[in-house]
Amino acid sequence: MLFSSVGFLFRFLPIFIIIYLTLPKYRNIVLLIGSLIFYGVGEPYFVLLLLLSVIINYGFSCYMFWEPRSPQTNRKAKTARRRKRALALAVVFDLSVLFVFKYWDFAAGSINAFAGKGFLPLLSLALPLGISFYTFQMLSYQIDCYRGTLDKRAGLLSFATYVCMFPQLIAGPIVRYSEVAERMESRRVRIRDLENGLKLFTLGLGLKVLLANQIGTLWNLIMTAGAGRLHVLVAWLGAFAYSFQIYFDFWGYSVMAMGLGKMLGFSIPRNFDHPYTSRSLSEFWRRWHMTLGSWFKEYVYIPLGGSRKGNGRTVFNLFAVWALTGLWHGAAWNFVLWGIVFFLLISLEKRTFGKRLERSTVLGHIYTVLLIPVTWVIFAITDMGQLFGYLGNLAGYHREEILVGITQLVRYLKEYGVLLIACVIFATPLPAKLYWKWKDRWFVVLILLGVFWWSVREIVLGSNNPFLYFRF
Amino acid sequence: MNEKRMRTFLEIIYNCPFILLVIFTSIIFSLLFDETGKRKSGHETAVSQMVVEGETAGTEADDLLKKNGITTENIFGKDGESGEKTADQPRQEEKIIQNAGKRKGKDDKIENDSERKIDIEKNGNAGKTGKTEKRATEFVEYEPIATDSRYYSDAGKIALTTTYDYVKENESYFNDAAFLGDSRTLGISDYAGLDGADFFCDNGMTIYKLLGDDGVTYQKTGEKVDMKEILQEKRYGKIYIMLGMNELGYGDTPMYLRQYLKVIRQIQEWQPGVIIYVMANLHVSLEKNNMETEFNNININDKNVASARLANGKDVFYLDCNPLFTDEEGYLQADLTFDGVHLYAQHYDKWRDFLFEHGVEKDGKDTSQ
Repeated sequence: MLFSSVGFLFRFLPIFIIIYLTLPKYRNIVLLIGSLIFYGVGEPYFVLLLLLSVIINYGFSCYMFWEPRSPQTNRKAKTARRRKRALALAVVFDLSVLFVFKYWDFAAGSINAFAGKGFLPLLSLALPLGISFYTFQMLSYQIDCYRGTLDKRAGLLSFATYVCMFPQLIAGPIVRYSEVAERMESRRVRIRDLENGLKLFTLGLGLKVLLANQIGTLWNLIMTAGAGRLHVLVAWLGAFAYSFQIYFDFWGYSVMAMGLGKMLGFSIPRNFDHPYTSRSLSEFWRRWHMTLGSWFKEYVYIPLGGSRKGNGRTVFNLFAVWALTGLWHGAAWNFVLWGIVFFLLISLEKRTFGKRLERSTVLGHIYTVLLIPVTWVIFAITDMGQLFGYLGNLAGYHREEILVGITQLVRYLKEYGVLLIACVIFATPLPAKLYWKWKDRWFVVLILLGVFWWSVREIVLGSNNPFLYFRF
Repeated sequence: MNEKRMRTFLEIIYNCPFILLVIFTSIIFSLLFDETGKRKSGHETAVSQMVVEGETAGTEADDLLKKNGITTENIFGKDGESGEKTADQPRQEEKIIQNAGKRKGKDDKIENDSERKIDIEKNGNAGKTGKTEKRATEFVEYEPIATDSRYYSDAGKIALTTTYDYVKENESYFNDAAFLGDSRTLGISDYAGLDGADFFCDNGMTIYKLLGDDGVTYQKTGEKVDMKEILQEKRYGKIYIMLGMNELGYGDTPMYLRQYLKVIRQIQEWQPGVIIYVMANLHVSLEKNNMETEFNNININDKNVASARLANGKDVFYLDCNPLFTDEEGYLQADLTFDGVHLYAQHYDKWRDFLFEHGVEKDGKDTSQ
């Protein structure tokens, strides 16, 4: 089920909230069952995989905290060994599941292609929704338990609720257990939380439906014409359109998750901090998908030694983090390339011009505004031939004559000009600032009501009449 | 006590105006609209609206048909036997339409029989076997599958390009040509390089809207124009029509055919002697093919077969471009498209060459019949 669907907005959410509020004593169980229904509607089989993963991970965490009764010699060392073993088992298990479902075909296909014959079978498994998110969430829990960040393990119900809770189950943010531990035990939902949560949710819905979905059609239009023979300006327009689409899509989803979390009495961490106003790519990644960035920093970069083990090691650590970040986003070579591009640029920034960029406002902004869309193009196009064709177009290079030129550019601008301006405005911190300033004023309430129904209208038209939505 | 309750009530209103407004408006909207966003009052309002749209676009076509001694009623098969039938052609049309309507029923055998009759009639005095006579639009039959949709059914056959002694042409052939269509035609306009032709097309264009008052964008100027005026003022030698994608979930196939016929009759009245090309709608890719919605190749083929019935091999020709771009199972090849619906720009020249190869020269012996 998607947040931006009629089924969620008008059936699941109201019914769930009413049950949740009327049974304050059983909040975790209500939330768990609700989340499983939420997930099971779209993934009737993979919900079993999710449950199995949760139970097995819970088993490992029990093993980790298990204290044998009888007095033993060497107790401390044995405990330490057991904890290590439990962590290793959990990590191996979680990553194996993720590997089989997400990476097997990619790895096997690449090996087969390299070897020139098919000696590894392809599984063609469907990707379980949200598996990258919930796997990382469970891993963070196990590692936190091992490190002692969490001093006692969570009960089965709390742990299951934490992993499965529907606001963040399928698209993050990646929440750490310590961030919600207290609220897991008991939480109060005040009427103000409901109100503010729904408002936040509506904002997120608007970002997703009214900005991301709409600007996405421009990117689709340009890609429909085909990469490789685009006028340089059309290519850039497409790159910007896609940058806006992916940002508002993901940001919108995160804001909806925050809003829902608030309505349920949680505070879900924020995931985006106006990343497009950054002045360097390092800064961009501190402000884009923040919970993933900090996950990699906390559980990969720092354990590897971070930047404290000499230059060579630092470069390797950065490489590891970025190659993994790339792969996390998808199992294809363009994602690896995308990660490596970030690795190269961020290493360069760290070694040379990064500080200068962040000091100079104008230079830094130009640098990011031009580079980030290019990285998103690498992210977006899985086919290598097309990808290099598009990158060539961005540089003004065409192997063959241009097919999509100024005529089309003018038409695109006419059709999408207003939307593009809106996207630029919403990429700045201004709208958020105004919202927090005036959020209780009556006119903001009315605007939000308009956003809500306008979004609903788009959803209804889109889902029931794909022909209007796709507009051939 | 009462006062206290009142205060809590006011407190709630004060604290959550947004939730209350959303709930309140939800109730109102749920009373007014059904789940698909249509007005509740009057069942099937949207469909009847479509019909109205269609009818108004075709009223003048009706007049024309009346002049030929046919009323709308009997054209649509409500009253098949009454009315004089002076021309041979309208009688065929009538049968075709009845036939298309019949397809909703389960009786495939009868349908196929009457089908053959029409083919024979169409071929005039030709032999009874219905083999490759000139000027016939051939249909290849296959075993239809059961469908459950109010928009379409499986036609059970595929229409082939009308058989004719086409002449290979060059770009000058298109100097007096007009193209009417949706986004795929827009693609031809943008990428096929037929600069001599006039293109009238919009994303989301339908056969119902084509002659409507909202107008169509004339690609040379980028302005909306009224097709009714254009077709009455300007003379074209050939008119290419390709519509049907946006009709997939908009009325059923007989209705589509009815409207298509009206549009063609209307154009023929305004443009006497014009050659009309009815172009097949390109299939979609396997990935995009969705049997759970109306958006699939069975439906597209149903629309194509319907429109192919309008071709007579004299001045109306059916062109099927699908063999150029689809695989053996009829899906648009995945490497030719990004979204599974539209061709990449670079493949339109293949389409252009196909159009070049299907020129019709009116002065030849072929019009003599």
